[in-house]
This record gives sequence, C-alpha cells and structure tokens, in this order.
Amino acid sequence: MKKRYIIIINILMVGLILFIIVKYANDRAVESNLASIASFEKMTATTEQIVANYLEDEQHLCDIWANYINRSAEAGTPMTVDEAISYIRKAKISPEISGHLIYIDDGSMTGTSTTASSTDPSNFSVKYSHINIFENLEISNVNGVVNLTRAYTNPLNGVQSIGFLNNIKVVDGETGNMHDALIIRVVPVSRLEQKLVFLKGEYENVEISLIDWDGDYMIHGKSLKNSNFFEYFKSYNPMSAQEYEKAVDTIRTDIGSMHIKNSKNEDSVIAYAPLSNLDSWFLVAYIPAYELTTSRSIDWMLLGIVAFGLIILLHFNLMILLKFNRKLAVAAEAANQANEAKSYFLSTMSHDIRTPMNAIIGMNEMILRDGKDDNVLMYSENIRAAGNTLLGIINDILDFSKIEAGKMEIIEVDYNFASLLNDIVNMVQRKADEKQLTFKLDVDKNIPRCLRGDEIRIKQVITNILSNAVKYTKEGSVTFSINSTKCDDSPDYVNLHVSVADTGIGIKEEDLDKLFEAFERIEEKKNRNIEGTGLGMAIAQSFLNMMGSKIQVESQYGVGSVFSFDLRQRVVKWEPLGEFDAAFKSFLKEREKYKVSFVAPDARILVVDDNEINLKVFVNLLKETRMQIDTAESGDASITLFKRNFYDVIFLDHMMPNKDGIETIKEMKACTDTPNNKTPIICLTANAVSGMREMYINAGFDDYLTKPIDTKKLEGMLLTYLSADLVKQVDEEKKCILVVHEDIAFLRGVMAGLSDLYEVAVAKSIEQAQTYLKTHEADLILMDYEMPELAESYDGKIIRDHFKEINVDQVISQVNDYFA
Amino acid sequence: MKRGIKNTLSMTFVTLMMFNMVACGQDSSQNQDQDQTVEESVGQEEVTEGFSPKYATDMEYKLSVAGTYSNFESLESAIDRFYEYYPNGEISYTFLDDYRNTIGPALAGTEPPDIYVVQPWMYGNPLFQPLFDDAEVLSAPELGINLDCIRSSVKWEMDNGEIVALPVFATSYGILVNMDIFEKEGLQVPQTFDELKSVCEKLRAAGYESPVMGANTSTTPGIGYAFSYPMFAKTVKDDRTIEDDLNNLVPSAGEAMRAALTRLNELVEIGCIDVEKCTAEIEDDYNAVIMRFFEGDVPMMLCSGDVVSGTKKRESKSEAFSANPFRYDFYVAPSGDDGGYFMDSISILFCVNKNSASLDMTNEFIRFLTSEEELGLMAQEKRLITPTKDYSLDEVYASLADFPEERTVNFRDTEILDTAVKQFRAAAYAVVNGEMTVDEAVANYGSIPTD
Repeated sequence: MKKRYIIIINILMVGLILFIIVKYANDRAVESNLASIASFEKMTATTEQIVANYLEDEQHLCDIWANYINRSAEAGTPMTVDEAISYIRKAKISPEISGHLIYIDDGSMTGTSTTASSTDPSNFSVKYSHINIFENLEISNVNGVVNLTRAYTNPLNGVQSIGFLNNIKVVDGETGNMHDALIIRVVPVSRLEQKLVFLKGEYENVEISLIDWDGDYMIHGKSLKNSNFFEYFKSYNPMSAQEYEKAVDTIRTDIGSMHIKNSKNEDSVIAYAPLSNLDSWFLVAYIPAYELTTSRSIDWMLLGIVAFGLIILLHFNLMILLKFNRKLAVAAEAANQANEAKSYFLSTMSHDIRTPMNAIIGMNEMILRDGKDDNVLMYSENIRAAGNTLLGIINDILDFSKIEAGKMEIIEVDYNFASLLNDIVNMVQRKADEKQLTFKLDVDKNIPRCLRGDEIRIKQVITNILSNAVKYTKEGSVTFSINSTKCDDSPDYVNLHVSVADTGIGIKEEDLDKLFEAFERIEEKKNRNIEGTGLGMAIAQSFLNMMGSKIQVESQYGVGSVFSFDLRQRVVKWEPLGEFDAAFKSFLKEREKYKVSFVAPDARILVVDDNEINLKVFVNLLKETRMQIDTAESGDASITLFKRNFYDVIFLDHMMPNKDGIETIKEMKACTDTPNNKTPIICLTANAVSGMREMYINAGFDDYLTKPIDTKKLEGMLLTYLSADLVKQVDEEKKCILVVHEDIAFLRGVMAGLSDLYEVAVAKSIEQAQTYLKTHEADLILMDYEMPELAESYDGKIIRDHFKEINVDQVISQVNDYFA
Repeated sequence: MKRGIKNTLSMTFVTLMMFNMVACGQDSSQNQDQDQTVEESVGQEEVTEGFSPKYATDMEYKLSVAGTYSNFESLESAIDRFYEYYPNGEISYTFLDDYRNTIGPALAGTEPPDIYVVQPWMYGNPLFQPLFDDAEVLSAPELGINLDCIRSSVKWEMDNGEIVALPVFATSYGILVNMDIFEKEGLQVPQTFDELKSVCEKLRAAGYESPVMGANTSTTPGIGYAFSYPMFAKTVKDDRTIEDDLNNLVPSAGEAMRAALTRLNELVEIGCIDVEKCTAEIEDDYNAVIMRFFEGDVPMMLCSGDVVSGTKKRESKSEAFSANPFRYDFYVAPSGDDGGYFMDSISILFCVNKNSASLDMTNEFIRFLTSEEELGLMAQEKRLITPTKDYSLDEVYASLADFPEERTVNFRDTEILDTAVKQFRAAAYAVVNGEMTVDEAVANYGSIPTD
C-alpha cells in the first residue's frame, strides 16, 4: 500500500474519531442545554407561583381592609375617612406598607394616606391625579379579585410601589355624604424583589422581571434595557413584524423559554410564564445563555485533549512509518538492484553461453548431416545430446526465474524415450564412474519407444535426482529404475514410475521438509564439500508439480534414500523400447538423417550477426534449402544491404557492437528508400531470458528465434514468413545403384538404361566397388556371379546374376521389381 | 521527507485544526464575544481617555438613577460601559411618575435615588430647592471630576461658584434639513433670512408647496417658537433692561417681541411655510413632526432638539424612510439678516444625592460620565446636543460647531421667566395663524391667552 494511502487512512480514522467525539460531545451538550433550559423553565414556573402567591396574599390583606370597612357601611355605621385610615394604620404591620384612601366618585383622585409625606410629616394627603395608573383598571368595580397597579412612584415618599386595590364606601365626616372610594395597599417593589433573592443561589445572573400586557415593567431586570420589555426585545432582536407579533403572543400566552440577544448582542435565554390569577401580568426570567451551557466547556476540553493526543499519536505514527518506509525503500532499492543484477547476469550468461553453443551445436549438426562413419556419428550424437542437456540446464537456470515469476510453461513434444534415457545415462554414468559407484540400470523393456511430453523437463528432473544420488553417495551403488504401466482410464497414456535408490548418507526426518526449498542445503556444514546450488530439487519438484506429479522420498539416515515419482505420458508409438543398450544402438542407426523440408531457390534472405562462425552455421543449416543468403557482420552493413536489395526475410542479431539489433531495426523502420518496407524482420538472438520475446516484439521485430538454432524451428519460421510461391517441395531422392561388372560395354548399357530413374554408379572391379562404398551408400548393388564377395555384408541389398546372359531391359526390370 | 508527504501532513494538520475550530464553534463564538468585549473595552479606554478606576474594580455596589425619561437607553449604554471597569455592581434607572411632585419625596423617602435629574427651570422654585440643597458639589477638587469638558455656555455654576449639576444633554431650536433634497435641487442650506427666502422660492418652483413645515402648536417645538424665540431671546440678551418688565408682564415690554414676530410673520406671508398644510398634516408637536419629515418631501422642518432626539428610533418605524432613506441635519433657523440665533439650552442635568449610601461610587460614576466622549456618546445615542465642546460624534449637529458666539444665546444670557416665555409662544402662535397682527400681539403682551 502506498504511503499516502496509509497517511490518508490514518487521517480519516483520526478525523472519524474526532467527529464521533465532537458529535457525542455536541449531543451531550445539546441534551445538557435542553435539560438546563428545562430546569430554568421549571425554576421560572416555581418563581411565578411564589410571586403569584405573594401578590394574592397582599391582595387578600387589602381585601380584608376593604371588607372590614365595607361591613361597617353595610351595617349602617359607615366609617369616616379618618376612621378607616385609623383602622388601616392599626391593621397593617409593616411600616414599609401604607394604605391610601382616595375618592373616586368626585374624580379628584385625592385622599388620605396612613403615612405622612416624607417631606412633610404633618401632611397625610395623597394625590393621584398626576399618576396615570388607573387607565386599564375597573377601579369602580374591583370585585375582590387581585387587582394591582403597575409599578408607580408613591407620591408621598417617591418609592416605586405596587398598589393593591379594592372598593370601599366611607362617609364624609363633615357633610355626612357617602363616598365611593378606593383603598390602595401600597407595597414597595423592593419588598417583592426581596422575595426573589433566593434565586441567586441557583442562578448567579438570573434576573426576574414582571411585565404587564404592554410590556411595561413592574419589576425591571438589570440587563433588560428600555422601559418596555417588548421594545427592548424588538430593539435587539431584528425580525419581521409577523415574527415579532408571534413572539409577543407566545410570551403572553405560553409557559416556556426562548433564546434572545441582549443589548450586547450576546445569546441569552428568557423563560416566561403568566402570573396565575392575575390578568395581564407576566413573569420573565432572564439569564445569559452561557450560564446554562457552562458544562459544555468540560466536554470541549476533553475533546481538545483527545484531539491533541490523536494528533500527537498520528504524528508519532507517521514519523515511525516514514522511518520504516525509508528503510524499506533502501531495502527495496537494494533488492531491485540485486534483481537487476540477477537479470543482467542471467541475460549475459544466457547470451554468452548460447553464442558459442550455437557454433558448437550448429557445426555438430553439419557433422551429423554429412558424416558417414558410425563412430563419428555416435560421437557427434553424444555432442548433440550433451549440448542439448547443457542447453537444458541453462534453460532451467533461466527458467528458475520464470518459476519464481510464475511464468514457467510445460512444452510438450514427441520424444524418443531411448534417446532420453541415453542422455541421462551419458550424463550420470561418467560421474558415477568417477566416484567408483555402481550405476545400475533397471529399465522396463515394455516402455513405449516414442512418447509425448516435456522431454527437457523430464530429463532435468531425473538428471537432478540422479546427480544428487551420486553426489551424496560415497560408496555403494545408485540404482535407476524405470517402468511403465498402461493407464486404465486413458488408453493413450502410460504411467511411468521412476525411482532412484542410493546407498548414500540419507536424510534425517526433520530435514525432509527442507529438501525442496530453493537454495536450502541439508546439513550444510557436513556437506560443504559437495558442490551444488540447492536449486536442483526445488526445480525438479516444481516441474513435476506442473506436470501433475511430485517426488516421493523414503530415506533412512546413514543407510540411503529412494526418490521416486509417477508421471503420465501420452504414447506416440507403442513399439516397446526393448533392451535399452540395443534400443539405443538401434536408435542411433535408425536416426533419420536430416532432410530439408523445403527448397526456395528464388528466395533471398539476409542474416546479420557479428559472429562470423554463427553466420557460417546459419548459412550451412539452410544450405539445402538453396535459398540465396546474404550475410552482414554489423548493423551498418545490414542497413546498406537493406536499402539496396530486396529480401524476403531478415534475421537480425541483437547483441552487436557499435549498433545493436534494436538500434538497427529502428533505423530500418525509419528508412523510406528501401524495397524492404514490408519485409519481416526476425530477431536471432542468444538472449533467451523470460520476457525477451515481448521485449523484441515491442521493439519492432516480427518474431524471435533463439540460439543455438534449432533447424526445424528455423525452417518452420521461414515457411511461415516466405511467400508460398517461393517455396517448393523437395524432389524425391533417386535410389543409388552400384553396378559392378568387368564389361565396360555392359556397364555403359545399364547406365544408359537406368540413369533416368536412378543414380547409377559403376565399378569395374571389386576394389573399385569397395572404395566407392566407403564414401557412399548404395541402395542396391548389382554384381555378376563371377565377381568376388565384397568385404562387408550388404544383406538384402545385392542382386547377383549372369548379366552377360540377359539384356539391359531385363536388368532394368529386375531393379524396378526390387524397389517396387 | 518527500514533498508529497509534507503536503499531506500539512493538509492533515490544517484539516484537523479547521475541524477543531468548527467543532469548537460555540466556544470560539464565545471567545469572539469575549474578544469583542476586550476590543470594545480597549476602544472604550480610548474613548474614555484618562479614566482609570479610583477604587477596587471588584467592589460591589448598587446605585439608582431617577429621572424624567420613561426610557433612558443612552444612560443604560453608559452604565454598561461603566460595568467594564466595575463589573460587580448594579446601576438602575427609574422613571418617576409625576417627577415634579415625586422627586422631592423620593429624596426624603426610604429609597432615595443616588443620582437624579434636574432641569434648569427647577432652579429658583422653592419646591425644588431640596434638589439643589441635597446635591453633591461636583466641582469639589477631591472628586476629580473633569468639568472642563463642558461647554461654558451650558456649564451651570451656582452663585457661589460651585457646580452641583452635570449637564447631560443640551437642546436648541431650529430646522431639520433634508440634505438629499438640497443636493438634488442644487441648493445650499440657507444661513440668513434672505437666503431662506431665495431657497424657498426655488423650492416652491421645484414643486415643494411648503418648503418649511412645522407643528402648528403653541408649544416649544411649534412653528412660531422654534423659528422666532431665539431671535427674541437675542433681543433680550442685547438689552437686558427690559427683562424685568418682560418677566413682570408689563405690556410695554411686548415691544421686545416685535422684531421676532415681524420676521415670523414675514416667513408666513412670503410663502415659505403653508400653515394650513402644516395643521392638516402634522397632528402633534413630536411624533407627527418626525414621521411627516420622514416622508421625504419636506425640505425643512421646524422643531426643537427634543424632537430631533426622537428621529433615530423612528427611522425604522417610518416605511417611507426605510424605503427611501435620506441624510438629514439640524441647523439653526436662519431668522436673522446675518444668520440664525443658536439657543444653547440645557435639557437635563444630573445631580448626585450627597446623602447617598454609596456616595463614593456615585461620584465615581459621575467622574466616569464627565468626559467629552461619554457625554458625547450619550448625546449621540439620544440624538440630543452634547453639552461638551466636541460636536463631532453626531453629524446631525455638526453645523453647530464653531457657531458664532455673538449669535449664541445661553441660559445665563437671559433670565426670562416661564410666564414671559408663554406669552411669547402664545403671541407667535397667534401671528402664525393670523389671529393677531404683530402690532396686536405686541400691544397685548401680558394678556395674551396662553392655554
């Protein structure tokens, strides 16, 4: 995962945690706020009850005054003003409270007070005509309900007071006339305010106000500016007229709370409740919002600590991560460099080994094609086999990287089982002989001679197991057993059982697991003198796994081991292998000589290689196709030819000095003045590591052929890319007839009669015939009875007759019958 | 560290910081409020230059102010600013019903105010003598109250040189001028009566039926009083020998009114003002005057400073003004040939109750209040004329700055009693409404009906 993704994920996780904390804190705070506000509303309701009860009590005291005075009037002994005032003076207990008795029936609104004016102790008269407090009161019919005035200034002492009212009837002491009067119980507002002091304990900054219907204050909270609450509300809380009316209506009718802005634009809360039993009076409790939400700061502090901790943790983690990343980056860089070095090594090794191998195998191929001596051919065949094995090993090493990369492929071909065995035996026998070990062969003679499978891989698996057996056996023997059984479920398949038993050092049970691990060598110290990379068994096991099998191991430490595996192979020819030695010789004998698959005398190809020998190999391998082959030893030389001549196919080497194949092909592709714009260009290279085919195709090559050159592949590739009209089938080969006779005339006659159909050689003596047969192979030898026997036996190939007694036509007839 | 990682880390921390800032929105808003308070406090320190608390700032106190205004928000604002220095106290303002009759008992009562309002007309009336007798001497050096910031014309020294009342607001009489109309018509605000005539002529030509309007009442904000009383007062100031006769309502003293009434009559006759229109469209001498002016089609509105004080709150109440706001300023009415006459009158004053239970803190509050800045801010909020020398806080009254001394009349320049003033108001009303000629008004001085 890339670093930035890890960082982003970390950030997202921290962010998510913070978000959850914030949300949690917020939710709790909201709940807390709601609870605080609910509690505040409850306090307001309680306060409202206290205030209402107090006001009711005061009204009740006023009513007692009025009732007492009125009962006297009802009893026919109405009180005079002085008597009434005297009574009230006696009835009232608190000196702060006074009673005002004023006439209302004459409109004078004047009367007498229980207490004197603060400025004139002798003056008890009171005058309400300039104090506008009765506007909204039915003072003539109070009816005993709570009736109080707004807060007003007591005209006698200038104290803000509330008046509780009731009607009374008194008599004028001088005239004897009855008067409707108003008795007012005048209570200082401060007395009511004292009742609310208890609230300070619960809420430090709460302010209680009492307002009337219009918003005018009876009790005025400190923070509520303006003389009218509604005007104050409107001044500092801009809103539409509709919203304002709604808010006012809510305050007048509901019990609840709302957030408002105070004169400093601070968030505040007011709780409101109408006073019970009092028309048009409302209690408004004001408190700054922060006092109800102070608990939130604790949550935010916690949040801050957590956030800070997470940031520190994130920072620490990132630092650690970055540190490890730096180390990993260094290690990755080193690994990349090592990998590049390995790739470079493999590429170089492949190329540098394959290049001379191309010459060895190519030249050996020429020997195999042209050689006549069986011994020479056997030696040459051994060279070919060893060369192929070497190539196989190189391929295996290269392909180990393929196995690691998961790019290993099993390539099935038809193969001669005798040849496979011979290759193996050739490889192992010599090593066993060197260590003076007995190498025993136990080969089932019924194994089909020709099978289909990945010969190279099978050979490598067996070779690896046998090589290990020889390596780790100091004395005794190595027994290589192989047999086959028909597969019941698949009639075209046989199951090969391969087993290699040795009398070597054996393997401890606990080491068996390490056996197939790459680069793992068992008992390294003990076996340090034994050469090996530790790759062999791992590769063998990998190959077998890919072929649907696996190696079984039975071992007894210090006694020896048996490695075995079963392998299904499709049968190409059921002809049994027979005795392995005879079969191998027979194979050598029956090995078909190379036959060219086509001829194309009109085709012209160009081959480019800086290695002169390889050019010779290439030309010789295609000699019998009779194609016109131009060679070039450098990229520049090839470009000159490329521009000048038309070619049907171009083979271009990659690794060349000065201008390599890729640079050359780029130049060729960029070239416009050439007849070869559409000519396929095939990379002919010793670079055979995995991934090269794709690289060369991407570089512009049409195909890719590795060295050493496999003639069949080469010819197959040419058949693919050459135009069909250029390719011709190879003529049927004429049978070779050797005629041995002393009569030259006869020889001439036979030659004339047979030369059209056969290749005819003549010999006048037995010596001449034997000399000829040393360098040539004859399909038929015609010898007169009188001629002596040839030194070698040519059973089945000799016809003896008295040729002087028959004519040429009869001779021709005999020959034709022979080949019929 | 790679650039990409640095950027990622930077983005991380920025994101987290933003996240936390958003998360702590409420706190930050509170902090902002606090910051704002601090800024205001700092600003306030600049405004109340030189004020530093004399007492421990955590002192607890409770003060009361009694006054005549039912609503005194400008004082409440000043109190809020005082709380910045002394937060643990409470200063409440109380409107006293029937102030004239209740302030005396209040001072003698059980809950006397610490500060109370007095007005110039109270002085000399025995009924109100206790208000002055009970007042703290604010000019006492030990109090450290800087009374030098008060304009000399409104600084009220007693006969013994003591100052017992702090002028809070000044007022005057003049015209509210719709500056947008003058700008639109390309006119200058008239400074002399001739210029007024010329401007009125042009305005009438431009379609303004009554270039000057006002409340057709016999009260102080009424047409006659607002336009011509300053000229009358200037006449008295220039010849104070007639002052006693005027106060004694001697009919011959009525001659002192002639010049002012003649100029008033001229105003009406030349068509500067359509009295009938004023009567029909302006029902009272306060609210209606303001609301009519805010209609936006009155170039000049005669009024008192008290009327101007009501404009600020009524701007939002006037749909016409809200829809088409315009700039307006207060000018002295250009009644004289050389210019108008500025009546530099005291509106209200504060006295400190020397018997206050919290006298020290009360004096401290007055010390805080007595500065060009605080008094200026109060006047600006109330939209009355500041008693200080600096008119700059309220541009509506900017025209009064550096007004010529020779055409300024203050309360010390004349001692015209209320009865004489009422005679002049009645005479002016009669002339404006054609009930009397100037000669008749002059001749009937002392007996002109005042109710």
